[in-house]
Amino acid sequence: MVNFTIDQIRGLMDKVTNVRNMSVIAHVDHGKSTLTDSLVSKAGIISSAKAGEARFTDTRQDEQDRCITIKSTAISMYFELDKDDIGDVKQKTDGNGFLINLIDSPGHVDFSSEVTAALRVTDGALVVVDCIEGVCVQTETVLRQALGERIKPVIIINKVDRALLELQSPKEDLYQSFSRTIESVNVIISTYLDKNLGDLQVYPDKGTVAFGSGLHGWAFTLRQFAKRYSAKFGVDKDKMMARLWGENYFNPKTRKWTTKGTDADGKQLERAFCMFVLDPIFKLFDSIMNFKKEQTTTMLEKLDVQLRSEERELEGKALLKVVMRKFLPAGEALLEMLVIHLPSPVTAQAYRADTLYEGPQDDECAKGIRECDPNGPLMLYVSKMVPTSDKGRFYAFGRVFSGTVRSGLKVRIQGPNYQPGKKEDLFLKSIQRTILMMGRYVEPIEDCPAGNIVGLVGVDQFLLKSGTITTSETAHNMKVMKFSVSPVVQVAVEVKNANDLPKLVEGLKRLSKSDPCVLCFTNESGEHIVAGAGELHLEICLKDLEEDHAQVPIKTGDPVVGYRETIQAESSITALSKSPNKHNRIFMKAQPLTEELSKVIEDGKVGPRDDPKVRARILADEFGWDVTEARKIWCFGPDTTGPNFLVDVTKGVQYLNEIKDSCVAAFQWATKEGVCAEENMRGCRFNILDVALHADAIHRGGGQIIPTCRRVVYAAALTAQPTLMEPVYLVEIQCPDSVIGGIYSVLNRRRGHVFSEEQRPGTPLYNVKAYLPVNESFGFTAFLRSQTGGQAFPQSVFDHWQLMPGTPLEPGNKVYDIVREVRIRKGLAPDVPPLDRYYDKL
Amino acid sequence: MLYFIGLGLGDERDVSVRGLEVIKRCERVYLEAYTSVLMGSADPSRLEEFYGRKVIVADREMVESESDAILAGAQEVDVAFLVVGDPYGATTHSDLALRAAELNIPTKTIHNASIMNAVGACGLQLYNFGQTISLVFFTDSWRPDSFYPKVQENAQIGLHTLCLLDIKVKEPTLESLARGKKVYEPPRYMTVNQAVEQLLEVEENRQEKAYTADTIAVGVARLGSDTQLMRAGTLAQLRDVDFGAPLHSLVLVGSRLHLLEADALRQIAVDREALDVVLARDYGITH
Repeated sequence: MVNFTIDQIRGLMDKVTNVRNMSVIAHVDHGKSTLTDSLVSKAGIISSAKAGEARFTDTRQDEQDRCITIKSTAISMYFELDKDDIGDVKQKTDGNGFLINLIDSPGHVDFSSEVTAALRVTDGALVVVDCIEGVCVQTETVLRQALGERIKPVIIINKVDRALLELQSPKEDLYQSFSRTIESVNVIISTYLDKNLGDLQVYPDKGTVAFGSGLHGWAFTLRQFAKRYSAKFGVDKDKMMARLWGENYFNPKTRKWTTKGTDADGKQLERAFCMFVLDPIFKLFDSIMNFKKEQTTTMLEKLDVQLRSEERELEGKALLKVVMRKFLPAGEALLEMLVIHLPSPVTAQAYRADTLYEGPQDDECAKGIRECDPNGPLMLYVSKMVPTSDKGRFYAFGRVFSGTVRSGLKVRIQGPNYQPGKKEDLFLKSIQRTILMMGRYVEPIEDCPAGNIVGLVGVDQFLLKSGTITTSETAHNMKVMKFSVSPVVQVAVEVKNANDLPKLVEGLKRLSKSDPCVLCFTNESGEHIVAGAGELHLEICLKDLEEDHAQVPIKTGDPVVGYRETIQAESSITALSKSPNKHNRIFMKAQPLTEELSKVIEDGKVGPRDDPKVRARILADEFGWDVTEARKIWCFGPDTTGPNFLVDVTKGVQYLNEIKDSCVAAFQWATKEGVCAEENMRGCRFNILDVALHADAIHRGGGQIIPTCRRVVYAAALTAQPTLMEPVYLVEIQCPDSVIGGIYSVLNRRRGHVFSEEQRPGTPLYNVKAYLPVNESFGFTAFLRSQTGGQAFPQSVFDHWQLMPGTPLEPGNKVYDIVREVRIRKGLAPDVPPLDRYYDKL
Repeated sequence: MLYFIGLGLGDERDVSVRGLEVIKRCERVYLEAYTSVLMGSADPSRLEEFYGRKVIVADREMVESESDAILAGAQEVDVAFLVVGDPYGATTHSDLALRAAELNIPTKTIHNASIMNAVGACGLQLYNFGQTISLVFFTDSWRPDSFYPKVQENAQIGLHTLCLLDIKVKEPTLESLARGKKVYEPPRYMTVNQAVEQLLEVEENRQEKAYTADTIAVGVARLGSDTQLMRAGTLAQLRDVDFGAPLHSLVLVGSRLHLLEADALRQIAVDREALDVVLARDYGITH
């Protein structure tokens, strides 16, 4: 640990070229937190005042009980790079001291919104991959998220000790397994690559891949070994690194390097990686684990590892740990890798600016962000809220992208719905205090310049979950974060004791603030609903609600699934609705969107804030739209961003733009509460074919147009073969082959089906992938464990919306039953309203 | 028989004698209470007392969406539909008349004074009025200005423009409308001052000089009641005149101003000298 005063830390923050903001991301159980511990113990900064008592990773009790991370935690570290290595840092630097802000994030898919929030404030990511399990579903998800945010990855292949001790793999097999893992990481990287970023693939011979064991506290990159050998072979370090990976062999007889696997006599040569990197490690393991004392001693001398006298007494695994830690200290190797290969805020913001900022790329804010200018206008993004010890209050956690934030500064607090020039979702307030957040501890600081991560006091009342804080009056918002999970599982909560209701309501507000992904709302029948990404997420949220936020006993109903309403054909007739005063008429037809288009909207690749011309081009080129129609998209919905369109295809209608607003408002609600079961709509396009309007504005105001537009949307949907879509999980299960039969039977019983089953090479483990309707997933984890003797561990992540066969309009199918069930639960009449409620005859 | 009966502008006693006779013998009496309000007697009980009949207040929803209830049985019995002003002063009730015709219900109309004709009280001649426009309450995002071309057309041929000002008696909030569930806003009536603000904002945006801050206009408040108030002046002046309680209307004065009309305006001028200056400069009228 490094002891610093706050002033010293503050001094480091000014040298922004020497700051690294990074997150640690991985699949659950791949060892992020353990690895983080080994970094923190090497370089974690604690303020001198707190030295001795601080324990950074010690956060929530339930995190320890379950051995998973639930909330992401930020820790600052200080690392001095060897003066000789400064040249390897291929970006501007200032001295050799580096401030590393690390965010440890949860690996369980249910909490991946925490990952999203962490990624937004960082520029680089350390991707941890278990060398036995390899690249798993969540590895892919977080990598995709990282690349989407233009985060540069480096990877560490973790738990190498297990491969050595448990699997006893031979050297060449281990090399192959490493290389396969790296290959699959690179496949993901190139799939989701953003062309503006250049080559982001990771290469061991470039030093962007580390190997190690977080548990034992050792790790290395090829750099460490190249340094050792470059002197011996008299070659340049970089050349040496290249030789230590891939098809490079060393012939000890001729003392020559070659790229062929065999020597002149056809004898198999040992790969350089195996010979120079793995061999010493294998020998150490072998001699220590097999208690070959003398051999151990000579090896230690050769490797220049000094043991203290009491350490000499150790044996077996304990000795191994000590030796490996001294031989290849994880902190050194990893911090070196992070500092050399991850971008500084200055480097990163130059290419991240256009994905971070919604406004024009040539205004003062965009410029400030691009240059990471501490003297520019303040642009700060709050990515999440962190509960304080003061119940009900939160620190706003975020990053300064431009300017400098300080206590007392008058700022504009812009929520996600803020639009430049308008007053909604905008507050003008002063920052009460700025703080430095270090694990559980906070320290007040005077100010915080661009490029750093900071906490703010007093902003929580004005922002729900996230938002932009700025000093520029013309500033647009920073882009809203796109979560990879959506709250598809909901549960109703009520208090056991009616008097506690106000506390529950207050508690729900706090819960909603404290978690980026949870949704809390009241439905039509007055129930309080909490919606989360999955069963585990909900469970944790409800526990927090009961114990921390509301602190009253609560009852919860059965979890239920949110559906989507969609249509399967073009409306069979032109729907018509008349306004209440009968002077206005809207004619409309609905048409389904393709699944691909719905998907790109949900992924945020096509959105309401795109340049309409560019968007129209994409719709025309990639989705076969008529380009003139594509230019006349009035809005997306629901919530102005959803995967449904309202399109104006009218020809020469007067006053049309004066009813646009009313139609847009009606469309938002109509798509939020669809006609069948008041669920969100998805994948529908509504074309306004024609309108007839009263000549005077007073007779075609919102009061007339809004209900009419809503009704005509419903009528158009009802005549377009409406049905439901249900959410489906992608389930990944790793298990030994003996229990695969059990998995199949459990999945079959729950309408799931396996679509891939692969053995992981070199292990007895199978990787099974299946689709499982979310509706059938409640209790799935527990049931699967009991059916397989606890040997199968599923990871479920929301994957797609599945069209359900059937119709809600006629009895005798599943959709009809579900729609009735949902309607009754919501306190609506059980039957879908008949068409004539929405359709007016000419 | 369905009777459309105009109630006039002032209070319950402005109904015509024939209208009163009809009301007294009608089975059901509805009072339409959303396109205008009777200034002297917002409370229907005063109407009931005066007419000696029970009065059912029909709000917008009832008239627009539940007209069947109003029309029920009107083939046999007499039903009165009371409208403040004249029944056909605005176009809104033609739909009810059409529906009655579809159901073979005979209708009869008993007319009364409306703002459309009573506005002549300010001294401007009804012959010189052009198209009537309505001004609606602007919201943050909805600021319709389609009235502007109409004012412009009137101005081009020198005619006056009568501006009817928005009232929201029992209007659902926009959000509740979008959700199909009704939550009502508190009643609001547009004042002359608000109307002037909105007019000038639109002119500011369009810059086509259909009118300017110097255009002469007449603000009219509570026309037909004992407290009626009329003031003439430039739009800039009217912006700051307090006209008191609702209902308000506004007339934009066209350039084809008759000398007598100008004299009448002088009598109700906010600032007589200033008015003379503008009349001389912009309207070519000097004494």
